[in-house]
Amino acid sequence: MWAKQIKASRMEPAESIMGEELNRQRVLNFLDVYYAGGIEGALERCSDDVAFLANAPIDILPHMGQHRGKPALRQMWTTIHERYSEMRYEAPVVVAQGDKVAAQLRVFLRKRGNRRVVQFDVAVFYTLRDGKITEIREIIDTYDLVQQVLERDIAAALIGQTAE
Amino acid sequence: MTEHSLWRFSRALHRAINERQLADIEPLLDDEVEWAIYGPIDLFSFFGARRGKAAVLEVIRQIGENLRVHRFDRESIMLGADSAASMLRYSLTALDSNKPISLRVAHFTQFKAGKLTSFRMMVDSFDLVEQTVGYPIHLPRIAV
Repeated sequence: MWAKQIKASRMEPAESIMGEELNRQRVLNFLDVYYAGGIEGALERCSDDVAFLANAPIDILPHMGQHRGKPALRQMWTTIHERYSEMRYEAPVVVAQGDKVAAQLRVFLRKRGNRRVVQFDVAVFYTLRDGKITEIREIIDTYDLVQQVLERDIAAALIGQTAE
Repeated sequence: MTEHSLWRFSRALHRAINERQLADIEPLLDDEVEWAIYGPIDLFSFFGARRGKAAVLEVIRQIGENLRVHRFDRESIMLGADSAASMLRYSLTALDSNKPISLRVAHFTQFKAGKLTSFRMMVDSFDLVEQTVGYPIHLPRIAV
């Protein structure tokens, strides 16, 4: 721990920028593999103790929420890949600093059930260690996502509901 | 070492929201600034996309009329040469109802010559709506 901090503080600016560019590319490679359907390839780019957290209503989207470790992520990603096909992403913004990379993603998924496309925006914050992703934190426009997943107008559902 | 543009922008933004003082933030906005807060625009009129300084100043004014920022903690931050990404936890009050709102947000900012050219903010919007209406939204659970 201390050795790592000392090493980081002694890093020359050029070395730091190269490391950041490398981490940025690692994340983009991870995304390419994941959205191509390569769950095992994506897991290879994660540490054994990788932690995932997406702020989402888990009573509606039970496969999301908090997960830790490769088996848990494999199960979650398998659920998503079983439900959706033709997955792709765009990354209009990627920012890297040190061992962290943040990306704003626009994600496109086609429902296997009725072929409809779900499109949503997500902010993802990655932490890397020794070239592997150790943490994934997502912030999603969940209102929009839930509407598209359920194919329901939530505003309409709000009418008639009252405080418990 | 010069201060990253994010810090000046952040201070000016919070002052604009809480004190309704737009004088500090106005010179920090590029004339062609692009602004987007992703979320339900039918429920929150200050969500959605804006373009240009005048439209962005107006939406910041609207945010200040609806919300007060009590506290924010940066949980993660990345600073690029002319860009930044932050994940923050906000404690807010909705001014019309006086309800407290606790919210995690992410924002991505881009700057040119010290001026904001792009601002994109993502919110756990379902949670925000539930906190605003004051009760959980009952919808069917999808199959695991």
